[in-house]
Amino acid sequence: MTDYGHDLLFGTFVTPSAQSPQKVVDLAVTADRAGLDLVTFQDHPYQPAFLDTWTLISYAAARTSRVHLAGNVHSLPLRPPAMLARAVASLDRLSDGRIELGIGAGAFWDGIEAMGGRRLTAAQGVTALREAIGIIREVWDVSTRGGIHLDGEFYQVDGAKRGPEPAHDVPIWVGSYKPKMLELTGAYADGWLPTLEYIEGGLDSVPGINGRIDEAAAAAGRSPGDVRRLLNLMNVSFQPTSRALLNGPVDQWVEDLAGLVLEYGFSTFLIGGDDPAVAERFAAEVAPQVRELVARER
Amino acid sequence: MTLELGVVLDPALPPATMAALAQRAEEAGLDMVVTNPGDLDPWTTATWLLGSTKSIPIGVALAPVATPDPRDPEAGYPSVAGRARDSLDLLAGARLITDPSAWTLAPADPSPADLERAAAANLPVVVPASTEAEVDRLARLLIEHRGPRPTGPRRTSSVRAKRLPGIAYDEVPASLAETAVEPGDPAYRTVRSTYLRGGRPGLVLRPTTPPQVADALAFADRHRHLPLGIRSGGHGVSGRSTNNGGLVIDVGGMNTIEVLDTATRRVRIGPGATWKQVAAALDPYGWALGSGDYGGVGVGGLATAGGIGYLSRKHGLTIDHLVAVEMVLADGSIVRADREENPDLFWGVRGAGANLGVVTAFEFEVYEVAEVGSAQLTLVVPDIEEALLRFGEMAAEAPRDTTVFLVTGRPRPEGSVIQLYGLVDSPDPEVIVERLTPFASLGALVQQQVILAHYTDVMNQAHDIGPDGHHGHGEPHARSGLIPGLTSEFARDAAQLLRTGDVYFFQLRTMGGAIADVDPTATAFAHRNAAFQITAMGGGTEALDTAWSLVQPHLEGLYLSFETTRSPERVADAFPPATLTRLRELKQRFDPTNLFRDNFNIDLSEMNR
Repeated sequence: MTDYGHDLLFGTFVTPSAQSPQKVVDLAVTADRAGLDLVTFQDHPYQPAFLDTWTLISYAAARTSRVHLAGNVHSLPLRPPAMLARAVASLDRLSDGRIELGIGAGAFWDGIEAMGGRRLTAAQGVTALREAIGIIREVWDVSTRGGIHLDGEFYQVDGAKRGPEPAHDVPIWVGSYKPKMLELTGAYADGWLPTLEYIEGGLDSVPGINGRIDEAAAAAGRSPGDVRRLLNLMNVSFQPTSRALLNGPVDQWVEDLAGLVLEYGFSTFLIGGDDPAVAERFAAEVAPQVRELVARER
Repeated sequence: MTLELGVVLDPALPPATMAALAQRAEEAGLDMVVTNPGDLDPWTTATWLLGSTKSIPIGVALAPVATPDPRDPEAGYPSVAGRARDSLDLLAGARLITDPSAWTLAPADPSPADLERAAAANLPVVVPASTEAEVDRLARLLIEHRGPRPTGPRRTSSVRAKRLPGIAYDEVPASLAETAVEPGDPAYRTVRSTYLRGGRPGLVLRPTTPPQVADALAFADRHRHLPLGIRSGGHGVSGRSTNNGGLVIDVGGMNTIEVLDTATRRVRIGPGATWKQVAAALDPYGWALGSGDYGGVGVGGLATAGGIGYLSRKHGLTIDHLVAVEMVLADGSIVRADREENPDLFWGVRGAGANLGVVTAFEFEVYEVAEVGSAQLTLVVPDIEEALLRFGEMAAEAPRDTTVFLVTGRPRPEGSVIQLYGLVDSPDPEVIVERLTPFASLGALVQQQVILAHYTDVMNQAHDIGPDGHHGHGEPHARSGLIPGLTSEFARDAAQLLRTGDVYFFQLRTMGGAIADVDPTATAFAHRNAAFQITAMGGGTEALDTAWSLVQPHLEGLYLSFETTRSPERVADAFPPATLTRLRELKQRFDPTNLFRDNFNIDLSEMNR
């Protein structure tokens, strides 16, 4: 039993398909109107069938008014960290504090190289991401005097200016699966953002992963509660009868999600499938009941 | 003088005010909003303003993305920036202007004299504004001082600079102005080329309704001095759907597929649909309509030429299932043609449609097709001549449910590589294997894939065209011929042609079967007795023609879709004398001034002589 006690957030995990850009924007608008907390977008800059995720988020932010938006997760090798930090802070200002930041060390290296990016090993990726998170926080920190300096293994900055400052305290959520990256998440990140279907061993391995993040957080002098646990769930559907996790009637969704909160420590749920009707039911029927049930159990 | 007037937004304004002022400028009819984002990221700010508005151009000064340096956390990647630009055009329409020399600044609260001075540069004039009252005042000034203005979207002087002489860009019909693409437009790169060919047309018109097609043809009628291409899917090997410096009428947007009657399996399909889309739409009903061999091909070009495909031996050509068309003629009239109404036109469209008009809807009666066997075999054969001869016997003698095409290229020292693509119209694996076994014995089998599939799966192997369009380069050279049978003399001469090394792609499409059941006079495609369609592609016209002359004596006619040469004799190869005579009569009636002249032109001067 692990519950970190975070407030619950519900949202969607959207495919940024270039085939039907309007439908993708409409998915954000639907999430906004339905009262979801978050709409997040995959980021694969080397995938020609996808829209550029940062451009899409900037555009969708203007078309929505309440929902928060984030990349899920941005591909660090093609999103230089200072540039990304300035873009995120700018949009956070423009959208009145509705932007969050999801980031990962990179995957699909052939695609990254084909776009001119740098291929890194898994171990190098951990160091590069740690340096990047440092740079991002420095860019956002306008209260410290002087420019940004880092003579890192993967990034070099010598006196770059700070700012803009985001409108709110933008959390950095890291997509991570392997031990070293999970340790980095615990030590430096504000959230762990995996996709359930990609977690080796599935839910059974989550308690072990949480433990690893918690230990790394403690070792860095932080509390486990400093790291929100978010979860992408790709295969979800409303069904008349129970079939699998989040594939069943509303009541089952509610129980499944409450279980994920109370037993696995997750507090943010982002569903895939790109189906506006599912997103609306998720917001209207599932989310309030999960909040109620969890409040009772906590 | 045409005054174009816009606003510059102060970076110190709160974001909500910025959005409100941009929206006000749009509603008030101003021409442009320029943002000076101050500390904020310019790309993000401009994109957010585009998302906050619907139609007004947004200007922001953007430095070009420099050479990427992975160690520099500020340095972006040009490749990513390029994709971002394409994405923004898809999301917001091509409204972003990033070149600061595309506008000129006037002082705040300008007098008419200030405006006049600024407008002398013949660029949009932008004025600082920080309240709605200031925006409204500018809108009033604009109404008082603007001159006549062209229709359609605003184009900056840098875009206008890429216009070609001889095209009346400012007279594009209002119905088409919004979607027309000219060389300086961001969307130009997505429309200039076709599947295999690079092009540089001067203007691409994109009608989506028959009256818009009529408007496009009226515009084309005033540009007789330029090439005119009509494009559906843009796959065409013959290369008639793009050009250099001319006009293209692209009907790709007319791509709906609609079932009209399930009892007769009657469907209505727009010319811009691809055969992949058609197959996918028919599949849930258990139906199919044979097309060619590639799902990325558009309906319009193929269904006005013939349609020799994997189901032709069993079901005939694609045009043999056409029951009606709606089309726009050269004079702009919108007509229907079927067996009762305009029967002559209906006859001509089925094989020579490109000479007669632009089809805006096809009605087909399609057929039931269950699961099929789909095969791809790769073999190495030591002697290509013998292999061609044996393939010819097997393919022609196979039952009608079996259609196999052969592709080969330059022979290699170890032998020729041949690829066989086939379809067996039977859901029974035993039948499929029995039908294909003889073909597998043609040589050493190095790769094979045989699957039980739906026709839609076969078409689905093609890539989608996508919003990015085609990006063909250069100019392919292809020749087409039809042979009544694959004789030993043909095999000998075809092997000789391959040995020249000047042909890198050589295809035999097996015909016969149901294609030959149709009377040669029933459609404008008359070569009903052909046993094979042959295509050869080579690197240069001259070498290809020389190699092609080796098989020329065996040919009886050609198939338009695979022929790139433009010599007038090719028209006589495509249409036998009786067909050609009848087509000339139709041309005289339906296109007497020869508007449709760039796609195997049926020349009236011959008749008038």
